[in-house]
Amino acid sequence: MSEKPQIDLEASFREMVTQWERNFDAFANQFMGTESFSKSMNQAQDAQLKAQQAFRNWVSHNLEAMHLPSRDDILRIGEAVHRLDRRLARIEEHLAPPDTQVQKKGPPRTKQPPVRAEADDGKVKKVKKDKKAKANGGKEES
Amino acid sequence: MAEQGNDAAAIGKQVQQMVERAIQRGIKGFDYVTGSSTPVGLTPKDVVYERGTLRLYHYHPQSEEVYRVPVMLVMATTNKSFVFDLAPGQSMVEFLLKRGFDVFVVDWAAPQPEERGLTLADYTQDFIPTCIRQVQNITGEPDVSIVGYCMGGVLSVIYAATHADGPLKNLACLTTPIDWHKMELTQVWQDPRYFDVDRIADTLGIIPADIVTQGFEMQRPAQRVAGQMRVWEQMWNDEFVKSFRAFERWGNETLPLAGEYFRETTKELAWENKLMKGRLKVDGKSADLANIRVPVLSVSAEHDHLAPYESTKPLLELVSSEDKTEVKLKGGHVSVIAGPNAVRRMWPRLDEWLAERSV
Repeated sequence: MSEKPQIDLEASFREMVTQWERNFDAFANQFMGTESFSKSMNQAQDAQLKAQQAFRNWVSHNLEAMHLPSRDDILRIGEAVHRLDRRLARIEEHLAPPDTQVQKKGPPRTKQPPVRAEADDGKVKKVKKDKKAKANGGKEES
Repeated sequence: MAEQGNDAAAIGKQVQQMVERAIQRGIKGFDYVTGSSTPVGLTPKDVVYERGTLRLYHYHPQSEEVYRVPVMLVMATTNKSFVFDLAPGQSMVEFLLKRGFDVFVVDWAAPQPEERGLTLADYTQDFIPTCIRQVQNITGEPDVSIVGYCMGGVLSVIYAATHADGPLKNLACLTTPIDWHKMELTQVWQDPRYFDVDRIADTLGIIPADIVTQGFEMQRPAQRVAGQMRVWEQMWNDEFVKSFRAFERWGNETLPLAGEYFRETTKELAWENKLMKGRLKVDGKSADLANIRVPVLSVSAEHDHLAPYESTKPLLELVSSEDKTEVKLKGGHVSVIAGPNAVRRMWPRLDEWLAERSV
């Protein structure tokens, strides 16, 4: 006698969530993939950036009037330090040439790829696989 | 009559299970909401190099002997590398170590304001080569295999194309977009007529993580809510919750981007599609993919919404390598590298491909 199918409410819930997600994403992507959406989104972002820039300019002018460094001044110093750091790293590397730095730690580097599980016919299987891959333009699918 | 009795018993059992799980949801749900963040990246490692945004990790070998050629994983610049090492048993790094590889990972910290001027040249002509030299020095081996994920794959490809004489041994690219015009939604949102990348880069200097996250989440707007619904349903299942929280943490810890790098990526790759057209120049060097002659593995995901298969496909068509392999897996952008799909499908393929080419 065949088994009666049981109702699995939790599985149904999971399926419902997946369906809802798929449908919502498809609908949203359809709407968000339009030129008008892109235009509106970017216009809103542009307005926000302009406001941010205007505020920054205002703060910068005020700081200048008070003879205090602005954010840009501090950033310029930071960038100069960053450049120096980079140069220092290069000099350090040159001072200790790679040959003298070799540390060679850890286990021996002698590992060989495992012979295929099928041991005796492993080679045959690999040739077959390569031929199959070649026939498929080197493409494997799973 | 006996059949009716069996049905009633089965329904009773199911109802009992549902009640038990509902109680568990209540108890564990409280822990979920109030608990601290999930620990990630637990595989033992040393930070062997650190400069600005760049980090290079060397993981402690976990086998008695290792393959001669070390492997260096390059993470995408938008995210932290702990997705390679989510938790014991769910870690690609741990898997590779146990399979006998000497593993290094290039990770990124949030770029600081003074790093706003970083460009593609910094990443591909300075950071990656510096890391390779470090790997060579530590291992004493002349060549290195690179495994790049997403934008880390793009950087690796550019590095490989501009360093055709080595020391790269093998190149594996995981969900790595080459034809950026096939990333359709991004193309619409970054339409040069409306998307003022210069204003964004000049005003912000560093592109905040919120904007980067928004760009990802807008591609799948229902994903976060659906994720919360799934985790509520599975709240009784500790393993599911642990894994979900690790992924959620990874998604929440998106990194900001250097403004210049963002500007260059948008103009050169997204708008002009120069990587695809073979016209990309970095630091005066041609990054034509035809320069690449080392063995190449390209792994793509069937349902990848960020780097669709069509965008990753041209890699093998454009490189000059004779030894090239394409693997197309079920799943999405992240499930290729972490989660049950990766454990079952991608990791063994990567291990097999690298092992044969790492002696």
